[in-house]
Amino acid sequence: MIEVKNICKTLPNGKQLLKDISFSVKQGEFVGILGSSGAGKTLTLRCLNGLLKPDSGEVLVSNSNGEMQNISTLNKKNLRIARSKIGVIFQGYNLVKRLSVLENIMIGKLGQINPWRSIFYGFTDAEAAAAMEVLERFKMAHLANNPTGSLSGGEMQRVAIARAMFQEPQVLLADEPISNLDPGNAQMIMELIAPLAATVPVIGVFHQPEMTAKYCTRVIALKEGRIIYDGKPELNNAQLNEIYGEELQKVITKIAEPELNALNTTNANEAI
Amino acid sequence: MKQFSIKRYYPIIVGLIVFAALSWGAAISCQIEWTGLFEGIGKGMFFLKNLFPPDWEAFPEMLQPALDSLILAFLGTFFGTLMAVVFAVLGAANIAHPIVRTISRFLIGLERSLPELFILLFLIAAFGLGSMPGIICLSLGCIGMLGKLLADAIEEIDSVLIQSLTAVGANKLQIIVFGIFPEILPKLLAYSLFRLEINIRLSVILGAVGAGGIGYELDYAFSMLQYHRAFSALLVVLVLIFGIEKLSAYLRNMLNIKANLK
Repeated sequence: MIEVKNICKTLPNGKQLLKDISFSVKQGEFVGILGSSGAGKTLTLRCLNGLLKPDSGEVLVSNSNGEMQNISTLNKKNLRIARSKIGVIFQGYNLVKRLSVLENIMIGKLGQINPWRSIFYGFTDAEAAAAMEVLERFKMAHLANNPTGSLSGGEMQRVAIARAMFQEPQVLLADEPISNLDPGNAQMIMELIAPLAATVPVIGVFHQPEMTAKYCTRVIALKEGRIIYDGKPELNNAQLNEIYGEELQKVITKIAEPELNALNTTNANEAI
Repeated sequence: MKQFSIKRYYPIIVGLIVFAALSWGAAISCQIEWTGLFEGIGKGMFFLKNLFPPDWEAFPEMLQPALDSLILAFLGTFFGTLMAVVFAVLGAANIAHPIVRTISRFLIGLERSLPELFILLFLIAAFGLGSMPGIICLSLGCIGMLGKLLADAIEEIDSVLIQSLTAVGANKLQIIVFGIFPEILPKLLAYSLFRLEINIRLSVILGAVGAGGIGYELDYAFSMLQYHRAFSALLVVLVLIFGIEKLSAYLRNMLNIKANLK
């Protein structure tokens, strides 16, 4: 369970990035956050795990005892403990490429074990076995000892999800998890994330309304730092226009014209 | 077409003319005499002729000092790399506090601006003659170069990687050990091997000043006018430097191959 109450964020120069954002997400929900670039999607997500402190408002996340705690007022040590129970998947480059896949999974537990033991002794056999179990669950056990840098983009993102789940998180956040992937891999990652929502609330930032419509249970749309839509994942054209504005229309015509021209030429060639 | 016009090269041509004029002026103001150059070459050739042949019997006596120099360079590089890593971590913007970073970068820069010989003379005044000031001097010498190279290497690491480790609740030290070190390890090894080559050469020079080893033998033989013996020492130095350079190049090549395979 995660609850956001009236968070605001203003730049020192007076530009308001987030205005009065409130929502709450329960277990079983897979929330997709949509919006054009600069709408405040990633910013909102960063407030949720304390990477960014909102100027006002509360971010309440349930801890392992089930109590709700305000993440933006925790001290350093308690923030580390809170973060260790929040899984985050980034757009890319969030794995240590020169360590093995198994080691990268175990890194997920760094916040939950004694720091000195982890530095001077490393991980225990029990932790390695538990990490192996997670890898097996995500069908990647055969890659356990490969260097992470040798994996493909889709496989890396699967490892990142496995790491986040190895944390046994109270909430799972995903910052544009499929933006770097081809459509096939993107679909596979979405199919991997969606069922996780049954055990843990999932909040993801996406750029693809068709993906959120297919997999999410709820969509929140941001525009200029404000929530303009919160509800069913299926959006009609009028709503999409409102979220993406003129921008989307421009992009569509830009893509469509050359493609149409190309189609016409190939057809003409075939005719000859 | 405009981009092939000679006008593009005007700044370079003007720069070259200015540089030539400055060099000419400098030569005049330093009173460089060209005749001195040719006389010097003549004297040098005479000196070289005196070196031949090497004193073959002196070679066994040279092995121990050569080994001393080698150990000096190895230990200096080892301790120096350790210190450089600490300074590099403290001097990287994506890990260290801005004030700590500024101080560390200042110390790294300060070390780089001090010549090793100056440091050694200072250390000899403090510790007396021997290999100990030599090792400390070479270690300190690593900080300036390796510290800067490694700090830059750390700053090149993607900030998302550091954020993702912060996001699982890792503390600063854990981020350094599990995120930073694995990423910079190949560079660390390559740089310190390169520094080892430099330190071998430096250890010869420092030896002549008072750190012992083959450099001392060389200096002593020259000052006793035993030119044949000095030539033997010179040959040992050449073999030493050449051998280490080959070894280091071979190891660095292996590292590269490994890094590319990943």
